[in-house]
Amino acid sequence: MGGQARGMPEPLALDVRGLTVRYGSATAVHDLTLAVPRGETVALLGANGAGKSSVVNAALGLFRPAAGTVRLLGREPAAALEAGGVGAMLQHGGLPSEARVGEVLALVRRRYDDPWPLADLVATAGIGGLLDRAVDALSGGQRQRVLLALALAGAPPLLLLDEPTSAMDVEGRQAFWTTMRGLAARGHTVVFATHHLDEADAVADRVVVVAGGRVLADGTAAAIKSQIAGRTVRFRCPGLRDGLTGLPGVTGISGDADLVELATSDAEATLRALLDSRTPLPDLEVRGASLEQAFLHLTTQRDATEGALR
Amino acid sequence: MTDLLLFQLRRVGRNKQYLFFTVLLPALFTIFFTKVIGGQAPAGEYQDLAGAVLVSMMAYGAIGAALGATIRIAFDRSSGWLRQLRVTPVPTGSVFSVDVVVGALLVLPSLLVVALVGRFVNGVEFGLGTWLALIGSLWAGSVVFVALGVAVGLSLDAQAAGAAIGILGTVLAALGGLWFPVEMFPDGMAALARAMPSYWFAELGRDVAAGTFAGLPVMALAGYGVVFAAAALVVARRRPLHAVAG
Repeated sequence: MGGQARGMPEPLALDVRGLTVRYGSATAVHDLTLAVPRGETVALLGANGAGKSSVVNAALGLFRPAAGTVRLLGREPAAALEAGGVGAMLQHGGLPSEARVGEVLALVRRRYDDPWPLADLVATAGIGGLLDRAVDALSGGQRQRVLLALALAGAPPLLLLDEPTSAMDVEGRQAFWTTMRGLAARGHTVVFATHHLDEADAVADRVVVVAGGRVLADGTAAAIKSQIAGRTVRFRCPGLRDGLTGLPGVTGISGDADLVELATSDAEATLRALLDSRTPLPDLEVRGASLEQAFLHLTTQRDATEGALR
Repeated sequence: MTDLLLFQLRRVGRNKQYLFFTVLLPALFTIFFTKVIGGQAPAGEYQDLAGAVLVSMMAYGAIGAALGATIRIAFDRSSGWLRQLRVTPVPTGSVFSVDVVVGALLVLPSLLVVALVGRFVNGVEFGLGTWLALIGSLWAGSVVFVALGVAVGLSLDAQAAGAAIGILGTVLAALGGLWFPVEMFPDGMAALARAMPSYWFAELGRDVAAGTFAGLPVMALAGYGVVFAAAALVVARRRPLHAVAG
Protein backbone atom coordinates (compact mmCIF):
# COMPACT_ATOMS: atom_id res chain seq x y z
CA MET A 1 0.00 0.00 0.00
CA GLY A 2 1.47 3.33 -0.93
CA GLY A 3 0.86 5.85 1.80
CA GLN A 4 3.79 8.22 1.50
CA ALA A 5 2.62 11.56 0.18
CA ARG A 6 5.72 13.58 0.82
CA GLY A 7 7.73 14.25 -2.25
CA MET A 8 5.04 12.93 -4.55
CA PRO A 9 3.69 15.42 -7.07
CA GLU A 10 0.08 14.32 -6.64
CA PRO A 11 -1.59 14.92 -3.27
CA LEU A 12 -3.39 12.09 -1.52
CA ALA A 13 -7.07 11.77 -2.30
CA LEU A 14 -7.85 11.59 1.40
CA ASP A 15 -5.34 12.55 4.04
CA VAL A 16 -6.59 12.31 7.62
CA ARG A 17 -4.07 12.88 10.39
CA GLY A 18 -4.57 12.54 14.11
CA LEU A 19 -8.33 13.00 13.79
CA THR A 20 -10.22 13.18 17.08
CA VAL A 21 -13.96 13.80 17.11
CA ARG A 22 -15.93 14.47 20.27
CA TYR A 23 -19.65 14.84 20.86
CA GLY A 24 -19.89 16.52 24.22
CA SER A 25 -17.91 14.30 26.55
CA ALA A 26 -18.06 11.21 24.30
CA THR A 27 -15.12 10.63 21.98
CA ALA A 28 -16.25 9.06 18.70
CA VAL A 29 -12.89 9.06 16.92
CA HIS A 30 -9.51 8.73 18.65
CA ASP A 31 -6.41 10.11 16.99
CA LEU A 32 -7.18 8.38 13.69
CA THR A 33 -4.82 8.60 10.74
CA LEU A 34 -5.74 7.42 7.26
CA ALA A 35 -4.02 8.05 3.95
CA VAL A 36 -5.76 7.13 0.70
CA PRO A 37 -3.81 7.61 -2.52
CA ARG A 38 -5.67 8.52 -5.69
CA GLY A 39 -7.32 5.70 -7.57
CA GLU A 40 -7.73 3.44 -4.56
CA THR A 41 -11.06 1.95 -3.44
CA VAL A 42 -11.19 1.81 0.34
CA ALA A 43 -13.86 0.39 2.64
CA LEU A 44 -14.19 1.71 6.16
CA LEU A 45 -15.57 -1.41 7.76
CA GLY A 46 -17.10 -1.28 11.20
CA ALA A 47 -20.15 -2.03 13.29
CA ASN A 48 -22.74 0.67 14.02
CA GLY A 49 -21.27 3.30 16.30
CA ALA A 50 -17.71 2.41 15.35
CA GLY A 51 -17.00 5.99 14.29
CA LYS A 52 -17.17 5.50 10.50
CA SER A 53 -19.72 8.27 9.94
CA SER A 54 -17.78 10.62 12.18
CA VAL A 55 -14.68 10.05 10.06
CA VAL A 56 -16.62 10.67 6.82
CA ASN A 57 -18.42 13.75 8.18
CA ALA A 58 -15.24 15.24 9.59
CA ALA A 59 -13.49 14.53 6.28
CA LEU A 60 -16.25 16.52 4.55
CA GLY A 61 -15.85 19.39 6.99
CA LEU A 62 -19.41 19.02 8.31
CA PHE A 63 -18.09 19.71 11.76
CA ARG A 64 -14.87 20.87 13.28
CA PRO A 65 -12.84 18.01 14.77
CA ALA A 66 -11.49 18.30 18.31
CA ALA A 67 -8.02 17.62 16.93
CA GLY A 68 -6.29 16.63 13.72
CA THR A 69 -6.32 17.71 10.10
CA VAL A 70 -8.12 16.58 6.99
CA ARG A 71 -7.10 17.24 3.39
CA LEU A 72 -9.10 16.17 0.37
CA LEU A 73 -7.02 16.18 -2.82
CA GLY A 74 -4.58 18.42 -1.00
CA ARG A 75 -7.16 21.02 0.06
CA GLU A 76 -9.24 21.89 3.09
CA PRO A 77 -12.61 20.06 2.94
CA ALA A 78 -14.69 23.19 2.20
CA ALA A 79 -12.32 24.31 -0.57
CA ALA A 80 -12.21 20.82 -2.09
CA LEU A 81 -16.02 20.61 -2.12
CA GLU A 82 -16.38 24.06 -3.61
CA ALA A 83 -13.87 23.23 -6.32
CA GLY A 84 -16.02 20.24 -7.26
CA GLY A 85 -13.39 17.62 -6.59
CA VAL A 86 -15.46 15.62 -4.14
CA GLY A 87 -18.82 13.89 -4.35
CA ALA A 88 -20.48 12.58 -1.24
CA MET A 89 -23.40 10.49 -0.08
CA LEU A 90 -24.29 11.16 3.53
CA GLN A 91 -26.20 9.00 5.94
CA HIS A 92 -28.41 11.94 6.86
CA GLY A 93 -28.47 13.56 3.47
CA GLY A 94 -31.80 14.26 1.83
CA LEU A 95 -33.70 15.75 -1.06
CA PRO A 96 -35.93 18.82 -1.10
CA SER A 97 -39.70 18.43 -0.94
CA GLU A 98 -41.91 19.91 -3.67
CA ALA A 99 -39.22 19.55 -6.31
CA ARG A 100 -38.70 17.27 -9.26
CA VAL A 101 -35.66 15.03 -9.56
CA GLY A 102 -34.55 16.71 -12.78
CA GLU A 103 -34.70 20.16 -11.18
CA VAL A 104 -32.58 19.09 -8.24
CA LEU A 105 -30.04 17.45 -10.50
CA ALA A 106 -29.89 20.50 -12.78
CA LEU A 107 -29.37 22.82 -9.80
CA VAL A 108 -26.33 20.86 -8.65
CA ARG A 109 -24.91 20.05 -12.11
CA ARG A 110 -24.90 23.73 -13.07
CA ARG A 111 -22.38 24.43 -10.29
CA TYR A 112 -19.67 22.38 -11.93
CA ASP A 113 -17.47 23.70 -14.71
CA ASP A 114 -17.37 20.30 -16.31
CA PRO A 115 -20.37 18.28 -15.14
CA TRP A 116 -20.89 14.62 -15.94
CA PRO A 117 -22.85 14.52 -19.24
CA LEU A 118 -26.52 14.16 -18.29
CA ALA A 119 -27.43 11.09 -20.31
CA ASP A 120 -24.43 9.15 -19.05
CA LEU A 121 -24.98 10.36 -15.48
CA VAL A 122 -28.61 9.22 -15.56
CA ALA A 123 -27.57 5.83 -16.90
CA THR A 124 -24.70 5.41 -14.43
CA ALA A 125 -26.77 6.32 -11.39
CA GLY A 126 -29.69 4.27 -12.68
CA ILE A 127 -32.27 7.05 -12.52
CA GLY A 128 -33.65 6.73 -16.04
CA GLY A 129 -37.34 7.62 -16.01
CA LEU A 130 -37.11 9.43 -12.67
CA LEU A 131 -36.20 12.93 -13.89
CA ASP A 132 -39.81 14.13 -14.11
CA ARG A 133 -40.78 12.39 -10.87
CA ALA A 134 -41.60 14.44 -7.76
CA VAL A 135 -38.99 13.87 -5.06
CA ASP A 136 -41.74 13.17 -2.54
CA ALA A 137 -42.94 10.22 -4.63
CA LEU A 138 -39.62 8.32 -4.70
CA SER A 139 -39.03 5.00 -2.97
CA GLY A 140 -36.12 4.58 -0.56
CA GLY A 141 -33.94 2.91 -3.15
CA GLN A 142 -34.81 5.50 -5.82
CA ARG A 143 -33.97 8.29 -3.40
CA GLN A 144 -30.60 6.73 -2.76
CA ARG A 145 -29.91 6.53 -6.50
CA VAL A 146 -30.82 10.19 -6.94
CA LEU A 147 -28.43 11.03 -4.10
CA LEU A 148 -25.79 9.01 -5.93
CA ALA A 149 -26.47 11.03 -9.08
CA LEU A 150 -25.97 14.24 -7.07
CA ALA A 151 -22.70 12.88 -5.70
CA LEU A 152 -21.54 12.04 -9.23
CA ALA A 153 -22.86 15.23 -10.87
CA GLY A 154 -19.45 16.87 -11.11
CA ALA A 155 -17.62 13.66 -12.14
CA PRO A 156 -15.53 14.15 -8.98
CA PRO A 157 -12.17 12.37 -8.70
CA LEU A 158 -12.97 11.50 -5.06
CA LEU A 159 -16.18 9.90 -3.78
CA LEU A 160 -16.95 9.66 -0.06
CA LEU A 161 -19.94 7.42 0.65
CA ASP A 162 -21.41 6.83 4.08
CA GLU A 163 -23.32 3.52 4.10
CA PRO A 164 -24.64 4.24 0.61
CA THR A 165 -26.65 1.02 0.24
CA SER A 166 -28.49 1.17 3.56
CA ALA A 167 -31.89 1.87 1.98
CA MET A 168 -31.46 -0.53 -0.94
CA ASP A 169 -32.71 -4.06 -1.54
CA VAL A 170 -30.38 -6.86 -2.61
CA GLU A 171 -30.70 -6.14 -6.34
CA GLY A 172 -30.20 -2.43 -5.73
CA ARG A 173 -27.05 -3.17 -3.77
CA GLN A 174 -25.61 -5.34 -6.51
CA ALA A 175 -26.32 -2.73 -9.16
CA PHE A 176 -24.83 -0.03 -6.94
CA TRP A 177 -21.57 -1.87 -6.38
CA THR A 178 -21.30 -2.75 -10.05
CA THR A 179 -21.48 1.00 -10.68
CA MET A 180 -18.82 1.63 -8.05
CA ARG A 181 -16.47 -0.93 -9.56
CA GLY A 182 -16.95 0.78 -12.91
CA LEU A 183 -16.08 4.15 -11.38
CA ALA A 184 -13.02 2.72 -9.68
CA ALA A 185 -11.92 1.24 -13.00
CA ARG A 186 -12.21 4.72 -14.54
CA GLY A 187 -9.77 6.01 -11.94
CA HIS A 188 -12.13 7.54 -9.37
CA THR A 189 -11.06 7.21 -5.77
CA VAL A 190 -13.89 5.66 -3.77
CA VAL A 191 -13.94 5.67 0.03
CA PHE A 192 -17.03 4.12 1.57
CA ALA A 193 -18.24 3.23 5.03
CA THR A 194 -20.06 -0.05 5.46
CA HIS A 195 -20.85 -2.65 8.07
CA HIS A 196 -21.11 -5.45 5.50
CA LEU A 197 -17.96 -7.51 5.19
CA ASP A 198 -19.16 -8.88 1.85
CA GLU A 199 -19.52 -5.36 0.40
CA ALA A 200 -16.04 -4.45 1.54
CA ASP A 201 -14.71 -7.70 0.15
CA ALA A 202 -16.47 -7.38 -3.19
CA VAL A 203 -15.53 -3.81 -3.99
CA ALA A 204 -12.55 -2.53 -2.04
CA ASP A 205 -8.84 -2.84 -2.83
CA ARG A 206 -8.21 -2.04 0.77
CA VAL A 207 -10.25 -2.51 3.91
CA VAL A 208 -9.78 -0.37 6.99
CA VAL A 209 -11.47 -1.91 10.01
CA VAL A 210 -12.71 0.72 12.45
CA ALA A 211 -13.94 0.05 15.97
CA GLY A 212 -14.27 2.34 18.93
CA GLY A 213 -13.08 5.24 16.80
CA ARG A 214 -9.72 3.62 16.03
CA VAL A 215 -8.22 1.72 13.11
CA LEU A 216 -8.06 -1.94 14.12
CA ALA A 217 -6.74 -3.35 10.91
CA ASP A 218 -5.75 -2.01 7.51
CA GLY A 219 -4.94 -4.16 4.52
CA THR A 220 -6.17 -5.83 1.37
CA ALA A 221 -9.63 -7.32 1.55
CA ALA A 222 -8.09 -10.81 1.39
CA ALA A 223 -5.73 -10.11 4.27
CA ILE A 224 -8.49 -8.66 6.43
CA LYS A 225 -10.77 -11.52 5.56
CA SER A 226 -8.21 -14.10 6.59
CA GLN A 227 -7.98 -12.28 9.91
CA ILE A 228 -11.64 -11.87 10.60
CA ALA A 229 -13.46 -14.36 8.45
CA GLY A 230 -12.81 -17.23 10.82
CA ARG A 231 -15.26 -19.94 11.81
CA THR A 232 -16.85 -20.93 15.04
CA VAL A 233 -16.98 -24.56 16.18
CA ARG A 234 -19.65 -25.17 18.82
CA PHE A 235 -20.56 -28.23 20.83
CA ARG A 236 -21.79 -29.27 24.27
CA CYS A 237 -18.95 -29.87 26.66
CA PRO A 238 -19.64 -29.79 30.37
CA GLY A 239 -16.20 -31.07 31.33
CA LEU A 240 -12.67 -29.71 31.35
CA ARG A 241 -11.65 -27.45 28.48
CA ASP A 242 -8.01 -26.82 29.17
CA GLY A 243 -6.87 -28.86 26.20
CA LEU A 244 -9.07 -27.04 23.73
CA THR A 245 -7.03 -23.84 23.37
CA GLY A 246 -4.07 -25.86 22.19
CA LEU A 247 -5.95 -27.30 19.22
CA PRO A 248 -4.71 -26.31 15.75
CA GLY A 249 -6.33 -23.14 14.37
CA VAL A 250 -8.06 -22.15 17.59
CA THR A 251 -7.76 -18.43 18.23
CA GLY A 252 -10.19 -18.05 21.10
CA ILE A 253 -12.56 -19.89 23.35
CA SER A 254 -15.86 -18.71 24.76
CA GLY A 255 -19.26 -20.05 25.77
CA ASP A 256 -21.12 -20.84 28.96
CA ALA A 257 -21.03 -23.69 31.50
CA ASP A 258 -22.47 -26.18 29.03
CA LEU A 259 -21.77 -24.92 25.52
CA VAL A 260 -18.28 -24.22 24.21
CA GLU A 261 -17.47 -21.98 21.25
CA LEU A 262 -14.09 -22.20 19.61
CA ALA A 263 -13.07 -19.41 17.26
CA THR A 264 -10.80 -20.86 14.63
CA SER A 265 -8.87 -19.70 11.63
CA ASP A 266 -8.78 -23.23 10.25
CA ALA A 267 -12.01 -25.06 10.96
CA GLU A 268 -10.93 -28.20 9.17
CA ALA A 269 -7.74 -28.67 11.21
CA THR A 270 -9.54 -27.89 14.43
CA LEU A 271 -12.28 -30.43 13.70
CA ARG A 272 -9.80 -33.11 12.65
CA ALA A 273 -7.93 -32.70 15.91
CA LEU A 274 -11.15 -32.75 17.92
CA LEU A 275 -12.32 -35.94 16.23
CA ASP A 276 -8.91 -37.57 16.64
CA SER A 277 -8.99 -36.83 20.36
CA ARG A 278 -12.24 -38.83 20.56
CA THR A 279 -13.86 -36.11 22.69
CA PRO A 280 -17.65 -36.54 22.56
CA LEU A 281 -19.08 -33.66 20.49
CA PRO A 282 -22.84 -33.48 21.09
CA ASP A 283 -24.73 -30.83 19.08
CA LEU A 284 -21.66 -30.07 16.96
CA GLU A 285 -22.00 -27.00 14.74
CA VAL A 286 -19.58 -25.16 12.49
CA ARG A 287 -20.57 -21.69 11.37
CA GLY A 288 -19.06 -18.50 9.97
CA ALA A 289 -17.96 -15.99 12.55
CA SER A 290 -20.15 -12.90 12.62
CA LEU A 291 -18.63 -9.53 12.01
CA GLU A 292 -19.22 -8.68 15.67
CA GLN A 293 -17.22 -11.74 16.72
CA ALA A 294 -14.53 -10.82 14.25
CA PHE A 295 -14.33 -7.28 15.63
CA LEU A 296 -14.18 -8.64 19.13
CA HIS A 297 -11.39 -10.92 18.05
CA LEU A 298 -9.45 -8.10 16.41
CA THR A 299 -9.97 -5.88 19.43
CA THR A 300 -8.62 -8.50 21.80
CA GLN A 301 -5.66 -9.07 19.50
CA ARG A 302 -4.93 -5.36 19.43
CA ASP A 303 -5.31 -5.05 23.17
CA ALA A 304 -2.89 -7.90 23.64
CA THR A 305 -0.25 -6.24 21.51
CA GLU A 306 -0.86 -2.70 22.69
CA GLY A 307 -1.89 -3.62 26.22
CA ALA A 308 0.82 -1.55 27.78
CA LEU A 309 -0.54 1.61 26.18
CA ARG A 310 -3.99 1.45 27.72
CA MET B 1 -27.80 32.43 -7.40
CA THR B 2 -30.69 33.15 -9.78
CA ASP B 3 -31.08 29.44 -10.44
CA LEU B 4 -31.35 28.72 -6.73
CA LEU B 5 -33.89 31.55 -6.37
CA LEU B 6 -36.04 30.21 -9.20
CA PHE B 7 -35.71 26.71 -7.80
CA GLN B 8 -36.98 27.82 -4.39
CA LEU B 9 -39.81 29.94 -5.85
CA ARG B 10 -40.97 27.01 -7.96
CA ARG B 11 -41.05 24.79 -4.87
CA VAL B 12 -43.14 27.21 -2.86
CA GLY B 13 -45.41 27.73 -5.85
CA ARG B 14 -46.24 24.01 -5.75
CA ASN B 15 -47.36 24.29 -2.15
CA LYS B 16 -51.11 24.76 -2.41
CA GLN B 17 -51.48 25.19 1.33
CA TYR B 18 -49.05 28.08 1.35
CA LEU B 19 -50.83 29.82 -1.51
CA PHE B 20 -54.20 29.32 0.18
CA PHE B 21 -53.17 30.79 3.51
CA THR B 22 -51.10 33.69 2.21
CA VAL B 23 -53.08 34.83 -0.84
CA LEU B 24 -56.57 33.42 -0.95
CA LEU B 25 -57.46 33.56 2.75
CA PRO B 26 -56.48 37.22 3.33
CA ALA B 27 -58.38 38.15 0.15
CA LEU B 28 -61.50 36.30 1.33
CA PHE B 29 -61.22 37.89 4.80
CA THR B 30 -60.99 41.31 3.17
CA ILE B 31 -64.32 40.78 1.46
CA PHE B 32 -65.92 39.07 4.45
CA PHE B 33 -64.97 41.62 7.13
CA THR B 34 -65.83 44.55 4.89
CA LYS B 35 -69.23 43.19 3.89
CA VAL B 36 -70.18 42.07 7.43
CA ILE B 37 -69.07 45.12 9.38
CA GLY B 38 -69.23 47.66 6.57
CA GLY B 39 -72.74 46.58 5.62
CA GLN B 40 -74.06 48.03 8.88
CA ALA B 41 -71.99 51.21 8.73
CA PRO B 42 -73.58 54.55 7.81
CA ALA B 43 -72.86 55.51 4.20
CA GLY B 44 -70.26 58.13 5.11
CA GLU B 45 -68.23 55.74 7.21
CA TYR B 46 -68.03 52.89 4.72
CA GLN B 47 -64.88 54.15 3.01
CA ASP B 48 -63.00 54.50 6.33
CA LEU B 49 -64.06 51.06 7.40
CA ALA B 50 -63.29 49.34 4.13
CA GLY B 51 -59.92 51.10 4.05
CA ALA B 52 -59.08 50.00 7.60
CA VAL B 53 -60.01 46.36 6.86
CA LEU B 54 -57.95 46.51 3.67
CA VAL B 55 -54.83 47.71 5.47
CA SER B 56 -55.25 45.10 8.24
CA MET B 57 -55.68 42.29 5.74
CA MET B 58 -52.71 43.43 3.64
CA ALA B 59 -50.67 43.30 6.84
CA TYR B 60 -52.12 39.89 7.75
CA GLY B 61 -51.35 38.40 4.35
CA ALA B 62 -47.87 39.88 4.27
CA ILE B 63 -47.02 38.51 7.72
CA GLY B 64 -48.28 35.04 6.78
CA ALA B 65 -46.35 35.06 3.50
CA ALA B 66 -43.11 36.26 5.10
CA LEU B 67 -43.30 33.75 7.97
CA GLY B 68 -44.48 30.85 5.81
CA ALA B 69 -41.72 31.28 3.25
CA THR B 70 -38.91 31.55 5.78
CA ILE B 71 -39.92 29.08 8.49
CA ARG B 72 -39.69 26.48 5.71
CA ILE B 73 -35.92 26.50 6.31
CA ALA B 74 -36.69 24.06 9.14
CA PHE B 75 -38.19 21.57 6.65
CA ASP B 76 -35.13 21.70 4.42
CA ARG B 77 -32.91 21.17 7.38
CA SER B 78 -34.90 18.21 8.72
CA SER B 79 -35.07 16.49 5.35
CA GLY B 80 -31.27 16.61 5.10
CA TRP B 81 -31.40 18.76 1.96
CA LEU B 82 -29.33 21.57 3.48
CA ARG B 83 -26.80 19.00 4.61
CA GLN B 84 -26.76 17.54 1.13
CA LEU B 85 -26.22 20.97 -0.43
CA ARG B 86 -23.35 21.51 1.95
CA VAL B 87 -21.40 18.73 0.19
CA THR B 88 -21.97 20.21 -3.27
CA PRO B 89 -20.33 23.37 -4.61
CA VAL B 90 -23.57 25.31 -3.90
CA PRO B 91 -22.37 27.83 -1.31
CA THR B 92 -24.30 27.47 1.97
CA GLY B 93 -24.37 31.22 2.49
CA SER B 94 -26.31 31.70 -0.73
CA VAL B 95 -28.96 29.20 0.41
CA PHE B 96 -29.56 31.40 3.41
CA SER B 97 -29.73 34.66 1.49
CA VAL B 98 -31.95 33.13 -1.18
CA ASP B 99 -34.48 32.11 1.46
CA VAL B 100 -34.51 35.68 2.76
CA VAL B 101 -35.10 37.00 -0.78
CA VAL B 102 -37.80 34.36 -1.40
CA GLY B 103 -39.54 35.43 1.82
CA ALA B 104 -39.45 39.07 0.78
CA LEU B 105 -40.62 38.36 -2.79
CA LEU B 106 -43.54 36.20 -1.76
CA VAL B 107 -45.00 39.01 0.32
CA LEU B 108 -45.71 40.93 -2.86
CA PRO B 109 -48.40 38.71 -4.44
CA SER B 110 -50.20 38.64 -1.13
CA LEU B 111 -50.17 42.47 -0.87
CA LEU B 112 -51.21 42.90 -4.50
CA VAL B 113 -54.12 40.47 -4.42
CA VAL B 114 -55.59 41.98 -1.24
CA ALA B 115 -55.12 45.48 -2.69
CA LEU B 116 -56.90 44.49 -5.90
CA VAL B 117 -59.76 42.92 -3.97
CA GLY B 118 -60.01 46.05 -1.80
CA ARG B 119 -60.09 48.29 -4.84
CA PHE B 120 -62.36 46.36 -7.18
CA VAL B 121 -64.54 44.24 -4.91
CA ASN B 122 -64.90 46.51 -1.90
CA GLY B 123 -64.54 49.78 -3.79
CA VAL B 124 -61.83 51.33 -1.63
CA GLU B 125 -60.87 54.66 -3.19
CA PHE B 126 -57.26 55.76 -2.73
CA GLY B 127 -55.20 57.87 -5.09
CA LEU B 128 -52.63 56.02 -7.22
CA GLY B 129 -49.81 57.52 -5.14
CA THR B 130 -51.41 56.25 -1.94
CA TRP B 131 -51.84 52.75 -3.37
CA LEU B 132 -48.19 52.63 -4.42
CA ALA B 133 -46.96 54.06 -1.10
CA LEU B 134 -49.13 51.62 0.83
CA ILE B 135 -47.89 48.55 -1.06
CA GLY B 136 -44.30 49.80 -1.02
CA SER B 137 -44.21 50.63 2.70
CA LEU B 138 -45.83 47.35 3.75
CA TRP B 139 -43.50 45.43 1.47
CA ALA B 140 -40.50 47.14 3.05
CA GLY B 141 -41.88 46.66 6.56
CA SER B 142 -42.43 42.94 5.97
CA VAL B 143 -38.66 42.50 6.24
CA VAL B 144 -39.24 42.43 10.01
CA PHE B 145 -41.32 39.26 9.67
CA VAL B 146 -38.86 37.72 7.22
CA ALA B 147 -36.22 38.10 9.94
CA LEU B 148 -38.59 36.65 12.55
CA GLY B 149 -39.39 33.69 10.28
CA VAL B 150 -35.71 32.98 9.64
CA ALA B 151 -34.98 33.03 13.38
CA VAL B 152 -37.90 30.70 14.10
CA GLY B 153 -37.16 28.42 11.14
CA LEU B 154 -33.55 27.99 12.23
CA SER B 155 -34.53 27.25 15.82
CA LEU B 156 -37.22 24.62 15.34
CA ASP B 157 -37.38 21.11 13.93
CA ALA B 158 -39.81 20.36 11.11
CA GLN B 159 -42.81 19.37 13.21
CA ALA B 160 -42.64 22.37 15.53
CA ALA B 161 -42.01 24.63 12.56
CA GLY B 162 -45.14 23.40 10.80
CA ALA B 163 -47.19 24.32 13.84
CA ALA B 164 -45.34 27.60 14.34
CA ILE B 165 -46.26 28.90 10.90
CA GLY B 166 -49.97 28.74 11.73
CA ILE B 167 -49.79 29.68 15.39
CA LEU B 168 -47.39 32.59 15.04
CA GLY B 169 -49.35 34.16 12.19
CA THR B 170 -52.63 33.76 14.07
CA VAL B 171 -51.28 35.15 17.35
CA LEU B 172 -49.65 38.14 15.65
CA ALA B 173 -52.84 38.87 13.72
CA ALA B 174 -55.27 38.44 16.61
CA LEU B 175 -53.26 40.20 19.33
CA GLY B 176 -51.96 42.89 17.00
CA GLY B 177 -55.49 43.97 16.14
CA LEU B 178 -55.55 42.82 12.51
CA TRP B 179 -58.80 40.89 12.78
CA PHE B 180 -60.56 43.11 15.31
CA PRO B 181 -59.37 46.70 15.65
CA VAL B 182 -57.49 47.59 18.83
CA GLU B 183 -60.20 50.20 19.62
CA MET B 184 -62.49 47.25 20.45
CA PHE B 185 -59.92 45.74 22.87
CA PRO B 186 -60.12 46.12 26.67
CA ASP B 187 -57.28 48.26 28.11
CA GLY B 188 -54.95 45.42 29.08
CA MET B 189 -55.19 43.77 25.68
CA ALA B 190 -54.78 47.07 23.93
CA ALA B 191 -51.51 47.57 25.79
CA LEU B 192 -50.45 44.06 24.75
CA ALA B 193 -51.38 44.86 21.15
CA ARG B 194 -49.01 47.83 21.21
CA ALA B 195 -46.20 45.44 22.12
CA MET B 196 -46.83 43.41 18.95
CA PRO B 197 -44.77 44.04 15.80
CA SER B 198 -47.93 43.26 13.82
CA TYR B 199 -49.72 46.25 15.42
CA TRP B 200 -46.98 48.64 14.31
CA PHE B 201 -46.91 47.04 10.88
CA ALA B 202 -50.63 47.75 10.42
CA GLU B 203 -50.15 51.17 12.01
CA LEU B 204 -47.54 51.93 9.34
CA GLY B 205 -50.11 51.04 6.69
CA ARG B 206 -52.84 53.13 8.34
CA ASP B 207 -50.54 56.19 8.56
CA VAL B 208 -49.49 55.82 4.92
CA ALA B 209 -53.12 55.35 3.81
CA ALA B 210 -54.17 58.43 5.79
CA GLY B 211 -51.24 60.39 4.40
CA THR B 212 -49.85 61.15 7.86
CA PHE B 213 -46.22 60.88 8.95
CA ALA B 214 -45.42 57.35 10.09
CA GLY B 215 -42.44 58.09 12.33
CA LEU B 216 -43.40 56.03 15.37
CA PRO B 217 -44.38 52.83 13.48
CA VAL B 218 -41.19 53.01 11.43
CA MET B 219 -39.08 53.32 14.57
CA ALA B 220 -40.91 50.50 16.33
CA LEU B 221 -40.60 48.20 13.29
CA ALA B 222 -36.91 49.05 12.93
CA GLY B 223 -36.42 48.06 16.56
CA TYR B 224 -38.18 44.72 16.07
CA GLY B 225 -36.27 44.15 12.86
CA VAL B 226 -32.91 44.59 14.61
CA VAL B 227 -33.94 42.25 17.45
CA PHE B 228 -35.23 39.51 15.10
CA ALA B 229 -32.25 39.76 12.76
CA ALA B 230 -29.85 39.54 15.71
CA ALA B 231 -31.75 36.50 17.01
CA ALA B 232 -31.56 34.87 13.57
CA LEU B 233 -27.79 35.45 13.42
CA VAL B 234 -27.25 34.05 16.91
CA VAL B 235 -29.26 30.90 16.12
CA ALA B 236 -27.56 30.49 12.74
CA ARG B 237 -24.19 30.57 14.45
CA ARG B 238 -25.24 28.06 17.09
CA ARG B 239 -27.01 25.64 14.78
CA PRO B 240 -25.30 25.61 11.40
CA LEU B 241 -27.60 25.01 8.43
CA HIS B 242 -26.17 21.57 7.80
CA ALA B 243 -26.47 20.35 11.41
CA VAL B 244 -28.71 17.34 11.77
CA ALA B 245 -32.00 18.49 13.14
CA GLY B 246 -32.91 17.19 16.54
